[in-house]
Amino acid sequence: MAGKVKNAGSRTTNPLVEKIGGQRLVVLLVIITLFSFFSIKSEAFRQYSTILSILDYSYYITFMAIGVTFALITGGNDLSIGTGMVCYGLIGGFLITKMGMPVGVGLVVTLLCGILMGVLNGTLVAIMEIPPFIATLCTMMIARGLGSIVTGSMSITWPPLATEQGWFRSIFKITIGDTKYPLGFLWVIILIIIMTIVLNKTRPGRYIIAIGSNKEATRLSGVNVVKWHMLAYIICGLFTGFAGIAYAATFQAVAPGTGAGLELDAICGAIIGGTSMKGGAGSIVGTLLGVFVMSMLKTGLPYIGLQANWQQIITGIVLIVAVLIDVIRTKKSGK
Amino acid sequence: MQGAAIRLDGAKAGGKDIKLGGRKVEKIKQNPIVKKIGFNRIVLVGVLILMYLLFGALCAIKGRASFFNISHIYSALNYAYFLGFLALGVTFVIATGGIDFSIGPVMFCSALVSGYMLMQMDVPLIVCLLVSILVGTLFGVLNGYLVAYLDMPSFITSMASMMLAKGIGSVFTKTQSVIWPQASQENGWYRSLVKIGSGTSIIPTGLVIFIIASIICAIVLNKTKAGRYILCLGSNKEAVRLSGVDVKKWEALAYILCGMLAGIAAIFYVGAYTTVQPGLGDTFNNEAIASCVMGGTSMAGGIASIGGTFIGVLIISILQVGILAAGFQIDLQYVITGIIVLVAVYADIRSRKRRN
Amino acid sequence: MGEIILTMKGIDKSFPGVHALDHVNLEIRKGEVLALMGENGAGKSTLMKVLTGIYKKDSGTITYEGKEVEFENPRAAQDAGVVIVHQELNMLSHLTVAQNIFIGREIMNGKMIDDAKMNEESIKLFQKLNIEIDPTEMMGNLTVGKQQMCEIAKAISHDAKVIVFDEPSAALTEAEIEELFKIIRDLKKKGLGIVYISHRMDEIKVITDRVTVMRDGTYVGTLITKDCTKDDIINMMVGRVIYEDPKAASTVPKDAPIVLKVEHLNAGKMVRDVSFELRKGEILGFSGLMGAGRTETARALFGADPKESGDIYINGKKVEIKDPMDAVKNGIGYLSEDRKRFGIVVGKSVAENTTMAALQNFMKGLFINKKKEDQVSWDYVKSLKTKTPTVETEVVNLSGGNQQKVVIAKWLTRDCDILIFDEPTRGIDVGAKSEIYTLMNELVAQGKSIIMISSEMTEILRMSDRIVVMCEGRKTGELDISEATQENIMHMATQRK
Repeated sequence: MAGKVKNAGSRTTNPLVEKIGGQRLVVLLVIITLFSFFSIKSEAFRQYSTILSILDYSYYITFMAIGVTFALITGGNDLSIGTGMVCYGLIGGFLITKMGMPVGVGLVVTLLCGILMGVLNGTLVAIMEIPPFIATLCTMMIARGLGSIVTGSMSITWPPLATEQGWFRSIFKITIGDTKYPLGFLWVIILIIIMTIVLNKTRPGRYIIAIGSNKEATRLSGVNVVKWHMLAYIICGLFTGFAGIAYAATFQAVAPGTGAGLELDAICGAIIGGTSMKGGAGSIVGTLLGVFVMSMLKTGLPYIGLQANWQQIITGIVLIVAVLIDVIRTKKSGK
Repeated sequence: MQGAAIRLDGAKAGGKDIKLGGRKVEKIKQNPIVKKIGFNRIVLVGVLILMYLLFGALCAIKGRASFFNISHIYSALNYAYFLGFLALGVTFVIATGGIDFSIGPVMFCSALVSGYMLMQMDVPLIVCLLVSILVGTLFGVLNGYLVAYLDMPSFITSMASMMLAKGIGSVFTKTQSVIWPQASQENGWYRSLVKIGSGTSIIPTGLVIFIIASIICAIVLNKTKAGRYILCLGSNKEAVRLSGVDVKKWEALAYILCGMLAGIAAIFYVGAYTTVQPGLGDTFNNEAIASCVMGGTSMAGGIASIGGTFIGVLIISILQVGILAAGFQIDLQYVITGIIVLVAVYADIRSRKRRN
Repeated sequence: MGEIILTMKGIDKSFPGVHALDHVNLEIRKGEVLALMGENGAGKSTLMKVLTGIYKKDSGTITYEGKEVEFENPRAAQDAGVVIVHQELNMLSHLTVAQNIFIGREIMNGKMIDDAKMNEESIKLFQKLNIEIDPTEMMGNLTVGKQQMCEIAKAISHDAKVIVFDEPSAALTEAEIEELFKIIRDLKKKGLGIVYISHRMDEIKVITDRVTVMRDGTYVGTLITKDCTKDDIINMMVGRVIYEDPKAASTVPKDAPIVLKVEHLNAGKMVRDVSFELRKGEILGFSGLMGAGRTETARALFGADPKESGDIYINGKKVEIKDPMDAVKNGIGYLSEDRKRFGIVVGKSVAENTTMAALQNFMKGLFINKKKEDQVSWDYVKSLKTKTPTVETEVVNLSGGNQQKVVIAKWLTRDCDILIFDEPTRGIDVGAKSEIYTLMNELVAQGKSIIMISSEMTEILRMSDRIVVMCEGRKTGELDISEATQENIMHMATQRK
């Protein structure tokens, strides 16, 4: 892995490569390699259903990762997304199953919770100037506790597909005839396009990159840095809300107390995709590719005989390698 | 920090306003005895006592069994031992200006690996206890190397090793819980490290060991070269480096000490509760960190107080037992710890800004 | 001569403890390049910061286009057409050139940023300046020279009428400077008022029309460039009377052994092929203007920054210095110019700082011998006359001069034979200054050797036995104290090699 990315660091002259971005190309190759490797090793992996399940696993991580990419680009981080996602799913589900509200309300509340958390994180980081990782660690704890308290420490099962209220599950996987289609991937693509535009073509995106690149210079250019810095966390919160919905739609039940550690999959995906921990640089498409590496590994490992508990070890190792590459890359460009 | 503590217990004492006038506080702070013990610590002890009384009152109001029962203190102590070792360790890391999010899962990983060896592989108990400490130390070495020598950010590095610890723990035990032996069983003597006897007539050996460990840590932090350099590099790493000091070595040492203490914490965890499950442990990170920052250790590094951490651990433990005794959900504790850390860190940031 | 576009009159500005600007006057005219000159700390940058709204003036008036103005912030100044091209570039390395130029005032197409339009506009700007830069290139990928051009383009895009260049040439190559001058002449022709801050005498002669000289925060005078000589300007810059007597002759015996020899030291742009020797008991002054590479030389020698090449000999023996640990082992101590960041640990006590570099000598088994530590620290407090109530006092509570003494005590505790004093009296009041001088003289009398980097001419002339002058990373001269004058030092310091 290290060797490959080093190649990406050297200046490429091929215009096509330059356009796509060296690192993204490498990540794409990694994905193809992983897919081929698992496919050769295991026949079961080569099934349509496996691809479906890779996608299923990727939605909620992708949403979180898109969100956290914005936080990372400002030079910050958001550790609350994993437990946050579960917490919003619990609260939304609680309203539907225990309070008898329509699914639509539950979905909106889930998103709203995410936005609120984003506002809180943004306030702590942008206004009160608490270091992002410690601020979001605290909100992570708060989210974890809140989710359990609201639901009385009970798991919440969002309505199953067969029931009248279960339509929302079709948002991500629709069954037409006998075939299931990964409709969620369409939404992912649409959101990726929208957020890529937001990041690269609008003022909010431009200023978020500028803040991560050099906050003081941005301030001196007359930009309201507090507002845009906060917005990055609100976007992150909103997408965590999306992730909450995807999580609830994908899995049977949402259990309180879980979700810790999932933020690392998202952060890891973003960093693999070329977003720097130092801020200023990031790519939404890269994030998507990075997430695919993560979910490919997670889905593929059991097929070659490594049980689910290996996933955590893999996450840990991949994270260390990705951050190390980022650190080395930043050092090099600093010279 | 003082401000934070006052506001905290103000909130906990049901909004009872004990905010003192600024001048009065200054006067109290100048008192030689107060100065000697440390104003922060006096406030903290006050918080501890207030909280104890508060939970007593809450239990009475809610019509539950009295909180002023020695058994509650014993169960708070059980919690305090392992949390204490975690908090002592992470105090060193925070003193360098870093953070270690891996301690809780590392503790569990240690307990799982050594417990599995004890129960499934018939390894002698004493070896298992050493293995437990060794596993923790190895994680410390990993974190220390990555942070000090490869310049990786400590928070993300330790989160990665948190995943490693969780994964290794569950791979090693094949995702099974490990139940350490009871005191009465063969190989059960390790439990006397925590307490001797049963019921209410016990000798809290754990408390003695925790106090001794705290004193040793305080000595290491304040009286040895290692502690001196750890504190100084937390305050201004570049100035220490330019004094010709091997800052990488001392920074790494803080993480190693932290890992080792997490390994010891594992022994006290199983000593108190015997059962360990794979995949858990990360909530303890937060509680250990909360104990430190509450006790006056600055997240910015350079300032650390073992005494403060000691009292902070007791506060968190009382909180944990009190929440359960008063019939609240234990999850409330996560929320409260989160808020404690936020308030303490913010107060620290403010006070440093004022000083500059 | 063009008409006056901007006048600054009686500008006064004080910072705590420093009277930075004392009723300074300045006049900028259309179609003219005004050089602003002065030694380090003369107040040039402060004056320009007052002009562009970064600092608020205490008193005085700024008249711009016939109206009295007071710019609230840099943005307001920009909008009015007064812009500064900073020495340290305010760039966003992760954004493209065009995105940098238009940051904060993007060209919009509905809700979208119109990057294509911004690129076009940038190209137009560059065409005006007659330079070629790809507006879609990442700022971070450009050379420093190109980045500077972008800053200029950004300045012009504000429809600037007055542009201040703060040492624009410091980081540029010869060819890039040529290009810069072409642009400045162009702007001049278009009727802009230009202020050009530089230390390079030859540039001043080439590009400017008038020279305003400042000294110690005051206005000295203005000359017409073509009617004056380099010496006239230097005389105005250094024209103060030196009250303290300069050292008449070196006190070091001719045959004193060489304790430190540096040969062909190279480290980055700021240290190019520097060689010098230091004798036992000598104070070797390092003079030069800001950005001459003196601190960088010291840091490379001390191992604080990596060096590319060069040999270091101590007492005739070649030594390998890779990091500060090696340097300290070889008996070198470094007192940084930036005490608070690199010198002391402000949150720790006097005693802790004193023993920082030599803690191994204060161990009793595993433990620090607190009694000995306090004893030794207290001895130094007494012998250096450090004003501190106790050795337990945190150094943050000490004044600058006393903090400096704590740093000196640190290196004396370590028993270093070679001491590098980098701006030893910066930010220190007059009384404490002479104490530091006395101390340095005592140290060399005891056989220690000192390298003293100083931007204060009086300090250099008063303390040094020999003087090395640097300019832009190279050693441009070496003088014995007996032949050194303010003028010939300044000549060497402004001379490019």
